[in-house]
Amino acid sequence: MLDAFRRREPGAVRAMYREYGRLVYAVAHRVLGRHDLAEDAVQQTFVNAWRAADRFDVDRDPAAWLATIAKRAAVDIYRREARRPAGALGDVATNDPAVVTLPPDVDKLDAVWHVRRAIDTLPPEEAAIVRLQHLDGMTHTEISDKLGIALGTVKSRSHRAHRRLGELLGHLREPVA
Amino acid sequence: MNERRTNEELEAMFAGDRAGALEPEEVDELALLADVLADPSMWTEPGAGLEDTVMQAVADAEPDAGASPEVRAAVARRASPPRWRRWAFSAAGIAAAIAVVLGVVVATEGGSSPDFNAQLSASALAPGARASATITRNNAGFRVTLDAHGLAALPAGEYYEAWLKNAAGTLVPIGTFSSSDGRITLWSGVSPKDFPTLTVTIEATDNNQASSGRKVLVGAVHSG
Repeated sequence: MLDAFRRREPGAVRAMYREYGRLVYAVAHRVLGRHDLAEDAVQQTFVNAWRAADRFDVDRDPAAWLATIAKRAAVDIYRREARRPAGALGDVATNDPAVVTLPPDVDKLDAVWHVRRAIDTLPPEEAAIVRLQHLDGMTHTEISDKLGIALGTVKSRSHRAHRRLGELLGHLREPVA
Repeated sequence: MNERRTNEELEAMFAGDRAGALEPEEVDELALLADVLADPSMWTEPGAGLEDTVMQAVADAEPDAGASPEVRAAVARRASPPRWRRWAFSAAGIAAAIAVVLGVVVATEGGSSPDFNAQLSASALAPGARASATITRNNAGFRVTLDAHGLAALPAGEYYEAWLKNAAGTLVPIGTFSSSDGRITLWSGVSPKDFPTLTVTIEATDNNQASSGRKVLVGAVHSG
C-alpha cells in the first residue's frame, strides 16, 4: 500500500484513508474540537499527503507522517477560524476557536495518535469499558450496571485493557515533528 | 467528564505490579495518557461520508500534483521557456498582470476578499451535507460562492434552491442547482446585511415559486 501511495496509484488514497483516517481525524479533532472542522482538516491532510506522496519515505511509519501533516492542517484551520468574525459574542460557545486563540498543546497532539492507535488494538468490549471509565468517569460498579455484565468481568476486562495500553504507550512524549 | 484521578490510582490502573515503582517521567506519561483518554477526540468517529469527500478532494487537487514525478518534470520543462525568453517576456507580463489586477479591483469595488461569509449546517434531510459560503459585493449585486459537499443527486423533477432570508421571514431566491460536491456560484440582488440567513431547500418543478420548506442546509451570514 505504501509503495502504491508513493507512486500515486489509483486506490492507494482510499486504502490509506481506511487505515489511517481515524488517527488523522483524532488529531484534527483534538486541535479543533469540532466535527465539521476536523473533517475539513482530514480532507486537507490527505490532499497535502497526496501532493507530497513522492517525498514519502516508505520506511517511515505512515501514521507519524500523516499525523504531522494533520497537525499542521488543523492548526492552519484553527488560526483561520480564530480570525473569522463569529457574530455576537453571547452567541459563541466559550470553546469556539473564534474566542479561544491559545495554541493547541503540541505535546498532547503527539500523544493523541499514539493513544488512538492503541485503543484501536483493543477488543471492542475492552475499549468500551476504558471509554466509560475515562470519558464518562464511571466506576466499575456503574459500568457493570450500565452494561449489564458482572462486576468481576468489568474488572478483569479493565485490568487487561489498561495493562495493554500501559505496554503500548511507553513513549507518549516522543514528538512526531 | 471524569474527575481527575490521583497518580496512585493511575499507577494501579496501568502499571500493575510496578505501581509505586515508576520513574517520575513515567508517572507524567500516565497523567498525560489519562488526560488524552478523557478527551472526546479519542472516541469520536469521522462521518461515514468523509471517505468519499476525501477521495473527491484528492481527485480535484491540482492536476499536475497527481502526476508522477517524471510527468511533472516534463511538464515543468515544457512550461519553462529559455531564460532569455523569460527576461524578454517578464516586463510585458508584469505590466499585463498589473492591468488585470487593477481592472478586477475596479470592477469589484474593493477587491476579491469576501464581504460576508457563512457556515451552513445540514438538516435531517441531508445529514451528510455541509457547506460554507463567501459573498462578495460588486456592481451587479452580491456574488455568493457556495462550497457544498454531500448533497445527493435528486430524482427527476426536483432541484436545490438557495435563499436569503430576513428577520421578517421574507425569502429571496438566489439560484438553483442540482447535486453538488464543489463550488456553485449564485447571485443575490439583496444585501446579506439585511437578509442574514442563507438556506438551501429541495424544490419541485411544480410551478410553485414559493419555498417548499424542505431545508437541507442553513446558516447565518456574517460580515467578512
